[in-house]
Amino acid sequence: MIEQLGNGLLLGIIIAVASVALSLLYGVTRIVNFAHGEIIALGAIATLFLSSPIDSRVLFLDRFSPLGNNFYLSVLISVLFCGLFGGILEFFLFRPLRKAEVGNIAVLVVTIGLSLFLRHIYLLLNAKPQNFPLELQRRQTYLFFDMTPRNFRVLILGIIVMVLVGLLLNYTKIGKAMRAVRDSNDLASVSGINSDNIILFTWISSSMLAGLAGVFQATINDVRYNMGFLILLLIFAGTVLGGIGTSFGAMVGGFIIGIVVNVSVGLPFMEGHTEAKNAIALAIMIIILLFRPQGIFGEKERLS
Amino acid sequence: MKLTFKSSITILLTIFSISLVFLLNDEGEIPILFNLLTFAGIYGLAAIGLNVHFGLTGLLNFGHAAFMGLGAYVTILLIPHAAGREGEITVSGLPFFLALIIGIISAALFGLLLGLPAIRLRGDYLAIVTIAAAEIFRLLVRDLESITGGVYGIINFSDALQQSRPVFINNFASTYDLNPSQMWVAFLSWVSIFLVLLLLKRLTNSPWGRALRAVREDEDAVRALGKNAVWLKLQSFMLGAGIAGLSGVLLAFNYGTVQVSTFIPILTFYVWAIMILGGVGSLTGPIFGSVMFWVIISETNGIAQLIFENANGQQIAGVRFVLVGLLIMVLMIFRPSGLMGKKEELLLDVK
Repeated sequence: MIEQLGNGLLLGIIIAVASVALSLLYGVTRIVNFAHGEIIALGAIATLFLSSPIDSRVLFLDRFSPLGNNFYLSVLISVLFCGLFGGILEFFLFRPLRKAEVGNIAVLVVTIGLSLFLRHIYLLLNAKPQNFPLELQRRQTYLFFDMTPRNFRVLILGIIVMVLVGLLLNYTKIGKAMRAVRDSNDLASVSGINSDNIILFTWISSSMLAGLAGVFQATINDVRYNMGFLILLLIFAGTVLGGIGTSFGAMVGGFIIGIVVNVSVGLPFMEGHTEAKNAIALAIMIIILLFRPQGIFGEKERLS
Repeated sequence: MKLTFKSSITILLTIFSISLVFLLNDEGEIPILFNLLTFAGIYGLAAIGLNVHFGLTGLLNFGHAAFMGLGAYVTILLIPHAAGREGEITVSGLPFFLALIIGIISAALFGLLLGLPAIRLRGDYLAIVTIAAAEIFRLLVRDLESITGGVYGIINFSDALQQSRPVFINNFASTYDLNPSQMWVAFLSWVSIFLVLLLLKRLTNSPWGRALRAVREDEDAVRALGKNAVWLKLQSFMLGAGIAGLSGVLLAFNYGTVQVSTFIPILTFYVWAIMILGGVGSLTGPIFGSVMFWVIISETNGIAQLIFENANGQQIAGVRFVLVGLLIMVLMIFRPSGLMGKKEELLLDVK
């Protein structure tokens, strides 16, 4: 079971980063974003495109970049691009919907349509699963779990990003404004906070985090058009477990789900049933919603 | 159905979309039309079930594929079939109609089982729980290979239904050069739609139907009047799940196999698109929505050929889902009541 812990931590960091992003967006805008997975995939696909060797054909397009194909630069540009994309979505789709006072359930259905739409645009662009153009690495032992140096760096980077998000939310002016809009949009507006700008900023930061989670996932596994949709339910599970709308809860919930999924492979009754490992995480989510719908760290308001 | 302005427009649009099949295809129009009408019947039935959940009661169900799948698997495992990699044939089994009834009841009971904990949750949480439950169902079916055949699926069960095929279906099929087995499934699915609509018509006009609509509009008021809102929602959940189970059985017989890969989230999204197109809360809307939806789907091949030269299967599928996603988005933004729905009867906000 202990050998699965390393994999669990890696899946945990992906889900934790993505869950924080989802939870942040839900907290501020009350949108359950089913297209979250597609922003995750966008981060990975953009990175693949930018970091592939020049003169190769990726995504049916001739690879172009005046900046060369440095991997870290590609990641940075891709994450910024995801932020831009999230901003565009908010500006041209979700802000008009909000202004037209379209209800939350209608917006939820719109995000489902958006998810289908984007995912299959990716399918048309990028059919086969591909790996980032990085050299293979040998696994090493860190403390008591094995992983490649690159994956270890992903883990550390993920933890740093989480700490930064926590600091941003708690100690900066914009973080406080986000929390104010989350608690009450009207009261925040009365206090002179421009809630439109805060929501735009939330979309951008949430999408950047999602894009980063996508880069993490693609580094550890590979790039696929449906990579975001495949882990979307685990992200929901992590978010719900920690308490949707709470950032710290989503982090912890995401880690727990990642570890549970991988460690459950080692359980005696799971022998020969590794394909069903995600079912355990989803079952945990349903049980949590039964007995503590507000999650571990959330406040009570989830029941109808 | 009274012939209002809205329904006349809908009927005209449906006739127009059917005539598109004749305009866009040079040969084999009749088989294409009957193939899409088969799917339209089966998916229309599923959309009617979903409409009981969402349109009538306001329950956000995104696990419809699991109800359809459960109905199909239970029914087909009870009749003679061959499951799994070896395809070992189980000869003994119940008569088809008994198995069908058990299948429908199991789907309804699965609705109850899922609904008992989940129904108290607020709308958006119910959406997450139902889609997760459907995923658990899919993973379990794939995993329990000894019973369900896992990824290999189940085959050789069609005889149980096809041996009851009447002669007029055979005659009709041979006249127009159609597949008689598919015609029989199509016939049964449209008969089921008719019967289910008769049932729902009675139910929605009864005090029970009014109470359900009241639950959708204002649950607290229903409680205050002494009705058990949770039990009403559960009954609606079971009814819709049962209808979904029936459509799942028909879908399996149409394919002639049961595969795990049929009952995936995409199936749920198809049914959602049909329901929204036809009209949330409208009884007959999903039928027209389903016919138009399947015309669009069956013509995506041509659209894909326009975009890509010699489009392959994956590209056609991609174009198809891009269109479905776009359809869901555009309808929900510009016309959430679809063709036949009433805007004032839509539940669009979390209460």
